[in-house]
Amino acid sequence: MTIKVIGFARSTNTLRVISCLNELGIPYQLEPPADFAAIKKDDYLANKHPFGKIPVLYDGDYKISESRAICRYLVSKYQGKYNNTILIPHDVHEAGLVDQFIFYESFYYEPVVAKIIIHEIVLKTPESEIAKRALKDLDKVLGVYDKLLEGKEYLNGEFSLADLFHYPCAHFIYSSHADLWDKRPNVKKWLNRLRNRDAWKASLEKKNKL
Amino acid sequence: MVIKLIGYAQSLPTRRVILTLNELGLSYELEAVTEIHTIKTDDFLANKHAFGKIPVLCDGDFKINESRAICRYLVSKYQKDAKIVLIPDDINKVSLIEQYISYELSYFDPPLTKILLQEVFNKRRGEPIDEAIVKQAREEIEKVLDVYEKILVGKDYLNGEYSLADLFHFPCAHYVCTDTQQGDIFDTRPNVKRWLDNLRNRDAYKKTYAE
Repeated sequence: MTIKVIGFARSTNTLRVISCLNELGIPYQLEPPADFAAIKKDDYLANKHPFGKIPVLYDGDYKISESRAICRYLVSKYQGKYNNTILIPHDVHEAGLVDQFIFYESFYYEPVVAKIIIHEIVLKTPESEIAKRALKDLDKVLGVYDKLLEGKEYLNGEFSLADLFHYPCAHFIYSSHADLWDKRPNVKKWLNRLRNRDAWKASLEKKNKL
Repeated sequence: MVIKLIGYAQSLPTRRVILTLNELGLSYELEAVTEIHTIKTDDFLANKHAFGKIPVLCDGDFKINESRAICRYLVSKYQKDAKIVLIPDDINKVSLIEQYISYELSYFDPPLTKILLQEVFNKRRGEPIDEAIVKQAREEIEKVLDVYEKILVGKDYLNGEYSLADLFHFPCAHYVCTDTQQGDIFDTRPNVKRWLDNLRNRDAYKKTYAE
């Protein structure tokens, strides 16, 4: 039975899951809801996600929500089944460090990038104080990432789920703030590697089709 | 070699790790950080935590930070020798636990943290409490707790059996109960109240909070 993802291909959280499915070579179907109002209706809250969010993944009768939890599930169940891509290493120490970088993404990176996306793309208020402050914060965060990536191609050396999680957000604001990313040589090379991965290109095709 | 934890025993992320260490019956040394400037030095940023945060755990030569990553590492490495299951083997059960861990990060902690920032940290610094923020955060957490009240119907713990997801929720919730005016949000919901009472009566929690 094919995996079903309920979500919008243009949402960063759904793109995280789509990228993961593509990286692991897992076949799936994307089922977008009718619109954003549909995911706040009583039926959706009762049966799909009690906080009215996307994505939600169905694997047969099994249902799971929250993009990072979904990706961990996909890795646990399918890593190595369709191809040789390793997103979470088997070694307990390496897996721990990948996890650590996943939390850097959750706490220090994503909230800042999300504010920029919301103000520049959703609300269309790029001159707001929140957007300006978020850009300054992102500048500092990327300064830290440039050091973290010194002598490494990816955050934990080899490509992992932590790197994958960072890219969808970056994609939406890169072109309007390329200088922020590109002025840091390690970040620039890292981002370039991520955007050139076949799985990401396939995810983008999905986004652009729908 | 003894595990070393760099942190501050009363800080919420450090508590999360200490709870896990106690649940797994692991001994450790706490290297207490009492002044914030010590975790912002170039040396700390280069060698312990790139963003200048605690806790940081050293297990022999291995170093890891971010409390939830630390806890998951401890479970992966030491659960097989412990008398407790914090993350089960079954993939489907584990993944629902990960889902609840994500709920904690995304929906549960943020409004509680806003309340703590106002009623505990601002107060400690002698700064005024912004009642509008407290009111908005309270409204937000009440809606979240209504969802938790339904999740916990007929269950003592989020995924049925006790797990790391329940542990992760406790430090923030408990701090709001003990140190703010908003603790009633938990007490007025019988399933949520039972859940938190179950947790605070566990030996590991009594040990952690006695320190």
